[in-house]
Amino acid sequence: MSVDLAITVQGLTKDFRVGLAGHKLRAVDNLSLNIPRGQVYGLLGPNGCGKSTTLKIILGLVPATAGKVSILGFNSATSEARRRTGFLPEAPYFHKFLTGRELVSYYARLSGVAEGDLKSAVEAALELTAMTEAGSRTIGTYSKGMLQRIGLAQAIVHQPELVILDEPTAGVDPVGAAAIGRMILAMRAQGKTVVLCSHLLGQVEQVCDRVAIMDNGKLVLEGRVDEVLARRDRQVISATDLTAPAWTAAEAALLAHGAKDVSISHPRRSLEELFRELVKGSRDA
Amino acid sequence: MRNLIKQSLRRTAWIARITFLEAIRQRFFAFLILLSAALVVSSVSFRFLDFGHGELKFVADFGFGGVFFFGSILTLVMTAQLFFAEIENRTALTLLAKPVSRWEFLAGKFTGVWAVLGIFIFTLTFILGLVMWGRHQELVALAEAAGRVPPDLSISGVAAYALLQWLRLGVIAAMVLAISSVARSFLFAIVVGAMAVLAGQLQWIAQETLLKDKDLGVVYQSFLWLITRVIPNLQQFNIGDALALDVSSVTNGAVWAASLSGCIYIIVLLVLAGLGFRRREI
Amino acid sequence: MVRWLTVLLVASAIFVAGCFAENSWRLVRTSIPEMGRKQIEPTLGQGVLLGILGGLRTVIADGTWLRSYVAWEKRDRAACEGLMRTACALDPRARYFWENTGYVMGYDMAHWEIRRRGGYAKVSQEIQDGLFKSYARKGLEIFEDGAKHTGGNPGILISAGQMAEIKLKDNLLAASYYKRATESANAPWFSYFLCARSLWEGGQKKESYAWYRKQWLEKLKGVGDSSPDDLEHLRYMEAELSLPVLQRIPRQTWEK
Repeated sequence: MSVDLAITVQGLTKDFRVGLAGHKLRAVDNLSLNIPRGQVYGLLGPNGCGKSTTLKIILGLVPATAGKVSILGFNSATSEARRRTGFLPEAPYFHKFLTGRELVSYYARLSGVAEGDLKSAVEAALELTAMTEAGSRTIGTYSKGMLQRIGLAQAIVHQPELVILDEPTAGVDPVGAAAIGRMILAMRAQGKTVVLCSHLLGQVEQVCDRVAIMDNGKLVLEGRVDEVLARRDRQVISATDLTAPAWTAAEAALLAHGAKDVSISHPRRSLEELFRELVKGSRDA
Repeated sequence: MRNLIKQSLRRTAWIARITFLEAIRQRFFAFLILLSAALVVSSVSFRFLDFGHGELKFVADFGFGGVFFFGSILTLVMTAQLFFAEIENRTALTLLAKPVSRWEFLAGKFTGVWAVLGIFIFTLTFILGLVMWGRHQELVALAEAAGRVPPDLSISGVAAYALLQWLRLGVIAAMVLAISSVARSFLFAIVVGAMAVLAGQLQWIAQETLLKDKDLGVVYQSFLWLITRVIPNLQQFNIGDALALDVSSVTNGAVWAASLSGCIYIIVLLVLAGLGFRRREI
Repeated sequence: MVRWLTVLLVASAIFVAGCFAENSWRLVRTSIPEMGRKQIEPTLGQGVLLGILGGLRTVIADGTWLRSYVAWEKRDRAACEGLMRTACALDPRARYFWENTGYVMGYDMAHWEIRRRGGYAKVSQEIQDGLFKSYARKGLEIFEDGAKHTGGNPGILISAGQMAEIKLKDNLLAASYYKRATESANAPWFSYFLCARSLWEGGQKKESYAWYRKQWLEKLKGVGDSSPDDLEHLRYMEAELSLPVLQRIPRQTWEK
């Protein structure tokens, strides 16, 4: 087993028993994955494809029917593995009567942060998630975006080597989502491995180094983002101040050299980029 | 090893602390403690309904009965509610993704709930003790004036009663946790928990039959033996009247034996809860 | 293998807990008034369940007793008996419930039954006597139960003696109840006289005098204001039995 791997999943299968008759429902089917250290890894797939179940098995919250999962070389069901892992569940819910700072301290203590390091660890996590000011408010007063960020703070407070984020931007506006994206990149810069489970493909594309796509419990695609997105059968020529005669001449030249399906269009920015540009300066706080 | 235990206890204590803070904020807790306190305080005013008992006995029974009844309801609902809130709100997901074992989670939940129940029991018993002590003083003065023998009241007996009731509620909380650990819904846990409490309160009937009737058939005797082993005897903690008003009727060592039995039940039921919860999918 | 070992360990732990509970119950049960389960059965579901479960037993017994009064006013024998027995069963250490249940059974219910059958004019004297005796015996059973649950309360035993005397016209049976009352630590002074009188009227005059004299010399002589009255009764008996002077109780210095 390579020490460069954050997570290894081998032949993972999970069956659920449903109904009174106990019919078998296969949620994950013979899945094998190797997630390298120090990268942002996207786990994608439609609803019900088995990605949340996979995450729960990785975190030891659900036992596997078959297969092996290890985190940083430790069996995923052990507390050694969980000590090195941070987790933000989808749409997290926290005790509303606690302040953000109390909540992060609570989870830091559960994660084994020593009392002497507690204050600095909590403040560092709050700072990274831009929650230092809001940390004194009770969680009941938080917006959805702040809940996600405080959830992220509790996930990273014990400086885990691996951070697993399940839909971290669900229900968050694009500004908040972009902020979370930046936090993910900051974590990668600190050498952490981030596993990101999301429906926002644009964000995944922006922050992930590698992606895996699941469907019906099976892995259908896995690789580096730029590799899996590149269309090797097509090329793009980009230019500014291109006049109509110049384009006609260029098209003729391309066709003369055997090129097919030659077309011209304006490059587009994403709606997310446009939105962020327009609402620049607005903060979710 | 010592450090591991220390760490484990620390995590358990923090889960207990948060559970306690969550429970103590519940309106249901506030409502029941106020209702029970009102019942205890008003017991003196209801004494005219009494027939042929010592007046203090009526007051004690009224107060002890209120603590018993509302304490049972509180334990049943609060334990199941706090457990299922963690599962349904998915805070258990965040919690158990940390290096927290499921045993620590359950032990923390139990300790937090038990601490709140301690507040309930000791507050109400303190109020009841005050009410009884006040009325006792008046009755002693009246009896002395009339040349009669004054009634007995043991404040330490009332304290012993509080301890036994706290243990009894601890047994119920552990029982509800054991049921909740395998139950799929809050309602199921409440219904089955209520039936278990009922069975525990009536277990003494089987126990008495087993101890007294010697002419039972082998099958019936075996059946009684089995249910007296499986169902906890909750009636053994109901000796409040005797402890407070007639200490001489309490056999030596009875309080200790009941306390020990309560502690053993709590441990065994928590182990059962842990085994049920061990492989539960969160 | 591990699974079976776990099952075995859990079963052993439950067994151990059950054994400890049984041991604890042996010590605790003496402090908990025993509940008459059979008496409670007819009224189960009428609000007494909580009492059986262990809480508010006194209060529920009082409530049940109040409800029995409604049945008493309506002369509903079955309901009245059921509720009164339930009150006794819920709180068996209360003399009040036993005594009054016994009174209602022994003194009132025969009259209700006669009225139910058409009244005193319609029911023959023989049947009436039979009914009085039958209900008096039921009342005595209640008193017996009450005495057992209250540690031989002399009040209940004296009530039983009176019922045996008045309704069964059985002086010797009455004497036996009074005698048991005198054996209680807190026996009232008049119970001795009642016992002696019943024996006397039951025809056992010599036995009555011998017993009363013994009690007076050993227990009554020096205590209480009743001592002279008892001696007066003894002097009457000595005169009736024509005892020689030397066999009589020596004259007391304070005696008139």
